[in-house]
Amino acid sequence: MKRLRLWPQSLVGQVILLVAFALFVAQAINFGLLLRERNRLTLTSQTAPLAYRVINALDARPDRWPGADNPWAANPRADRQDQRQRRNVDFLSSQPVLDGKPRPDVAARARALFDDIGLSVRTIVAAEDSRVMPLRRWERLRSRTSGEAPGDRRVGRLRLAVEYEAGKWVLAEARIGNRPPRFGGWLVGQTLILYIIVLAPLLWIGRRMARPLRQLTGSAQQFARTGAADPVDERGPGDVRELTMAFNAMRARIIAMLDEKDRMLGAIGHDLRTPLASLRVRTESVEDDAERARMSETIDEMNRMLEDILSLARAGRSAESPQKVDLAALADAVVEDFVELGSPVTLADSDRAVALVRPQQIRRALRNLIENAIVYGDRAHVSVFQEAGQVRIVVADEGPGIALDRMAEMLEPFTRLEGSRNRETGGAGLGLALVRAIMTEHHGDLRLANRPEGGLEASLVLPA
Amino acid sequence: MSDRPHLLLVDDERSIREPLAQYLVRNGFRVTAVENAAEARLRLNANAIDLVILDIMMPGEDGLSLCRHIRETSEIPVILLTARSEETDRIVGLEMGADDYVLKPFSPRELVARIKVIFRRVASGGQRVTAPDGATYAFAGWLLKSQERTLVDSEGVSLPLSTAEYNLMLAFATRPNQVLSRDQLLDITQGREANAFDRAIDNQISRLRKKIEPDPKNPTLIKTVWGGGYTLSAEVRKL
Repeated sequence: MKRLRLWPQSLVGQVILLVAFALFVAQAINFGLLLRERNRLTLTSQTAPLAYRVINALDARPDRWPGADNPWAANPRADRQDQRQRRNVDFLSSQPVLDGKPRPDVAARARALFDDIGLSVRTIVAAEDSRVMPLRRWERLRSRTSGEAPGDRRVGRLRLAVEYEAGKWVLAEARIGNRPPRFGGWLVGQTLILYIIVLAPLLWIGRRMARPLRQLTGSAQQFARTGAADPVDERGPGDVRELTMAFNAMRARIIAMLDEKDRMLGAIGHDLRTPLASLRVRTESVEDDAERARMSETIDEMNRMLEDILSLARAGRSAESPQKVDLAALADAVVEDFVELGSPVTLADSDRAVALVRPQQIRRALRNLIENAIVYGDRAHVSVFQEAGQVRIVVADEGPGIALDRMAEMLEPFTRLEGSRNRETGGAGLGLALVRAIMTEHHGDLRLANRPEGGLEASLVLPA
Repeated sequence: MSDRPHLLLVDDERSIREPLAQYLVRNGFRVTAVENAAEARLRLNANAIDLVILDIMMPGEDGLSLCRHIRETSEIPVILLTARSEETDRIVGLEMGADDYVLKPFSPRELVARIKVIFRRVASGGQRVTAPDGATYAFAGWLLKSQERTLVDSEGVSLPLSTAEYNLMLAFATRPNQVLSRDQLLDITQGREANAFDRAIDNQISRLRKKIEPDPKNPTLIKTVWGGGYTLSAEVRKL
């Protein structure tokens, strides 16, 4: 399954992305609620003046107050206010025709307002349209000085018609803003500020956490490769610091154990070689030449096994430092040593193939492969190939090859191929395991394959 | 030197010391066997010792320290016995001035062969080739690193050498501008007399030329001397 490319791999990236997303959702909900509240407020502020005008007009209508009892009529100030109010209020005897967009929401809000003060009416109709208003005097003045064409201004108008008694209507009108409220910029700004406030500290904490984690990873990888690594700085948040401390303690213990192992192996190697050496010297006093030769052969074999075990146990903790080596020349030198001893080994001509390796170890690996090829496959044909980014040293033999289901097994220590045709072969079955360990240390690979024309092909693949 | 060379064998392991001493006696040497460095010092002062066979790992004063003492006070050749195959042991031993080293478990025949090579060199007044291992020789843009048995070219790329090539190259590098006959080269590199197989040297020479000569058909570094042998025609600096 292909993963979404945008999804970050790192812990910090994921946390930040999630928080940013959550923030955005919360912000959107917030915005929706705010918008609704704002609309209600706008509706009320548009409806209320109209409704109160209607209420005032109904309260003060002359036919309700016969005689001079009308408190509105008696009050000169109230009267003046009435005058002004009445300019926007008309009493009609039939339902007025309201042009423009019907506004049932305004009507509903007005009915709620009427209900609040206990005024019951029969029908309420509301509509919004626009009309041309003459400019005010100062507006005309300003447009003249600025040279604009003096024109009339179109303004929004909201009209409310109320049937308060059957067949009796009152109509009120008021100006409203005809521009929708601007909200977008405000939302973007607020979201940005929120992001900065929340994400900046998160980023800071994330980096504080990520740096020690990255060092930890690096150190663990280095350890896996070389068997030694620098301790990691103990810093960062508390739990990360604890992890680092635990890692450092573990690293120290592993190193101590590996050192202990090396010391032990060194001691075993020394202690076993001494009796072997003694035995080897004593074999010279054996009269029978053939017997003596066989004895010393056995001792040599024991020594080789000991050598292999020690090498395998030390694999990955080599003191040799990597250097640029021409692997074609290396293969040539190793093959030449075999040829000197009369072994059936050939080398195909090849160009210089330089790689950064530990030459003694690669010599060792190649020697093991060639020895195997001679023992199990009669002859060894060595060739070196330089390919994209890697160098391949191939050892082919003319033996029976290895059954596919046993190939992986052959790389495990102490595994030996049964039925080697040539002779009772020595070795503890460590050859290929050692080669693989050397390749792992070099970030390379040991590949086994049966050749189509018969025989086994073992390749050392090294990064160039 | 008397007709029977006197060897001093120093090894703390009785199981090696005694049979080895017997074997060496059977092969015509006079042998004094001791088990520690202190005794060895006494014998060195008291007897005319021709060659010392020295175990590196010994309780008390170890073989390396004794080897350095011998080298500081005399010209007696030293062969080291070591139970560890680590390169460092070998190199340190040879830097301490040992003439040769043998890895346990060793073939006593080989030990005797090496002893004879050393005596032959001493008898012929040949130069002591102390500490060839661990040294680096520079010539004509090449480095010969004896520690790694490797040639390094001017680009810093190592060209590993086979054992025979290395021995030959080292023989040339330690004797620059000297004419070396096939016999000499065989003796130096393999410690054996020339025989019917002495084409081996010519083969190795041509292999070496392929590696280091700019034009192997027209050698300018390893030159053939008419009727004589070969010579390395270059300034060699020991680093």
